[in-house]
Amino acid sequence: MQTFHSIGTTADWIVMVVYFLAIMLFGSYFSRYTKNTSDFFFGGRRFSWWLITMSIVATGVGSHSFVKYSAKGFEHGISSTMTYLNDWFFIAFFMFGWLPIIVYSKVRSIPEYFEKRFSPSSRFLATILLLLYMIGYIGIGFLTLGKAVIPMLPEAFTLLGMTIPITLMGAIIVIAIITGIYITYGGQTAVIFTDLLQGFILLFAGLLLFFFGITYLGGFDVFWNLLPTEWKLPMADFNQPSSFNFVGIFWQDAIAGSIGFLFMNQGLIMRFMACKNVNEGRKAAAINILFVLPISAIVVGNAGWIGKAISITAPDVISPSVSPDQIFVVVANIIASPGMFGFIMAALTAALMSTVDTLINATAAIYINDVHRPIQHLLKKSIPPGAENDRKELIAARYASIVVTILGVLAVLAFKNFPTVYEAHGFFHSTLTPPLVVGIFLGVFWKRFTASAVITTFVGGVALMILGARFPGILISPFDHGIEMNVAHPYSYIRALYNTLVCSGVAVGAALTTRWQISLISKIRAKANAKIIMNIMLGVVVALFAAVLFGVSGISLQVIAAFGVIVLVPLTVTYFVHYDEEVNTFGLTASSISEARRQFKGSEPNDAEGVPVLVHWKLTESEESFMRFSNHEMSEMGANPGDLVYISDKRQWLGGLKSAHSVFGEPHDEVGIVYLTPDIIETGLLAEGRELRAEKEM
Amino acid sequence: MDLFSHSWLPFFYLYGLGGILFVAGITITLKAGSFDLKRSSHKKWMWILLFGFVWYITMHALMTWAALGLISPYTVLYTLLAMVAVFIFVTLRFKKIVGAR
Repeated sequence: MQTFHSIGTTADWIVMVVYFLAIMLFGSYFSRYTKNTSDFFFGGRRFSWWLITMSIVATGVGSHSFVKYSAKGFEHGISSTMTYLNDWFFIAFFMFGWLPIIVYSKVRSIPEYFEKRFSPSSRFLATILLLLYMIGYIGIGFLTLGKAVIPMLPEAFTLLGMTIPITLMGAIIVIAIITGIYITYGGQTAVIFTDLLQGFILLFAGLLLFFFGITYLGGFDVFWNLLPTEWKLPMADFNQPSSFNFVGIFWQDAIAGSIGFLFMNQGLIMRFMACKNVNEGRKAAAINILFVLPISAIVVGNAGWIGKAISITAPDVISPSVSPDQIFVVVANIIASPGMFGFIMAALTAALMSTVDTLINATAAIYINDVHRPIQHLLKKSIPPGAENDRKELIAARYASIVVTILGVLAVLAFKNFPTVYEAHGFFHSTLTPPLVVGIFLGVFWKRFTASAVITTFVGGVALMILGARFPGILISPFDHGIEMNVAHPYSYIRALYNTLVCSGVAVGAALTTRWQISLISKIRAKANAKIIMNIMLGVVVALFAAVLFGVSGISLQVIAAFGVIVLVPLTVTYFVHYDEEVNTFGLTASSISEARRQFKGSEPNDAEGVPVLVHWKLTESEESFMRFSNHEMSEMGANPGDLVYISDKRQWLGGLKSAHSVFGEPHDEVGIVYLTPDIIETGLLAEGRELRAEKEM
Repeated sequence: MDLFSHSWLPFFYLYGLGGILFVAGITITLKAGSFDLKRSSHKKWMWILLFGFVWYITMHALMTWAALGLISPYTVLYTLLAMVAVFIFVTLRFKKIVGAR
């Protein structure tokens, strides 16, 4: 396979350095808006849908990178767009299930949801699984970044007379240091605004590349007619080859990937939580999936299609044997002029950094929320006053970012031997998402899904997944839809179907047998030696899971051990864990969102239709943090005292950067005036003399 | 050359199974009450959800026909642009209706 080094000119490197400096300056300008951990992680729940939509572009396009889709575009044609065009199926579940729950229940991380909905032990297991997922995702991001920059670097450089080779891991470590420095001093507001800028630049750079490519080939008709029919089709062949087939990728991406991305990607969830309200989050999701993703599919894959077309007309310019993961860089270098190539590469690498820094920020959020705070609580450490605690948590968050960055680099080792980044990502998604996806999904949409069922899903489901990974030819092959098993990387994609089915099966089975579990445990509780029996049972569970994990004996015994785990885990959980369906589902399932809204507001929501109003503000020194509008404006907004209100600078292009949430106070009679307290003015960054736009939230 | 396994078989699988999940999503959230068609803003969301499904099914069907040489790739582009125009027009109409109440 042909590989490249030292692509690009001095002009390209100058453009890249200038681009990076400009982006970092842009980000550091907005880091001044980070005042506490809420701002650091969630951007203060204030932004408009369009800002979040564009910010998601940089995260989504970066992670579903130019490198991997150009590679598949070069190998298989326009079907590389497949994974960008299959995310609509779960959108109703997201918009009207998960999104309102995470906003109204005020959870700050996915594991926190598991504690509220199920139990602290569920949260513990969810934290482990989620941290593995996030760190793996960061590893994939670093691997892609490394593969993107390697073709631009020389094979080695000389320092003090020593020749030092440039390796993939070496490049990744340097990139990780730069990324870590940026995220450590930025925070979520900086990330959102940097991503906003980069979202626009990315789309522009990708479409520019397509335009250059088409021009290079002699026009769109020439390009289109050069591609063979199979290369023009929008979906891959149903079940072949094993490295890229429709049905495997459907289960890996459209099912596990889509739910994983929408429901358990903490980075994306934090973006939606930064929206000013649930409806803005829905708009951001809808516009992103409907219109931005199809454009992104062209943006990220076209270098591969252009490369394929060039390899047909001029194989001496681009050989068909070019390493697929390098095709983006090779094509960009051929069709773009010096300097412009540097700009495209800067946009690509900066976008990848955006993805990685979003993930690092999100993982640090999980650490603070689900490891740091529970440990502080467990140690019964006295919590210092608000500002002091915030300062300490910010410091802890920054240290966590550094540790997560290091772990992300180490995670690259698990993926770097896959033929392409695409397959590494597919394998990773198929393997790590199913237990959490099933846990979240059933937790939100099935009230009868209990704590014992979710823990059994995590433990028993994972046991069966381990067996699937160890014996793919026996356990996964019945679900393979005719896909040939690649011995080196067996069932990279279709294993998602097996993993999802076993986790769902375990989950449903455990939930449907809840009454039997309770009845059996009641009988055990009645015995004098109940505690001894249950401790022995717990020991047996640990031993059986260890037998599966370490693969003792043959497949039959391992399968028996896995089923032993599935039977005994729900019993031990029923005994040791307190779970009350009424309490644990209140406001935390799709059927109780009205309760969640009531809890969020603290009283009955006011859904009367109203319109936003424009007002000027005056300062009031009232001790209570209310916003007081005139009777006239209250009536326009359809608001009553005690309702929730959102106020922002009238300039909508700020996207909510200068805005605040509060509660309506008692009305007055000065039309066009709102009285604000100093804390609201400070939180909302509201400037004197500026007109404000106010709207009732609920 | 038989391209069925590369064209319409994935198409039917995607929109058959995906369609079941999509309808299940709407049905479950409606039954749960979190998606409430009595609220005018939610009626707008129902339109957007249905449009999205039709948008993607049309996009994939047109792209498949274009790849098989049955229609021009420009027809795909113009049809999709026309759909975007319809989407914007209808969604803005919904916004006016909601705002007027």
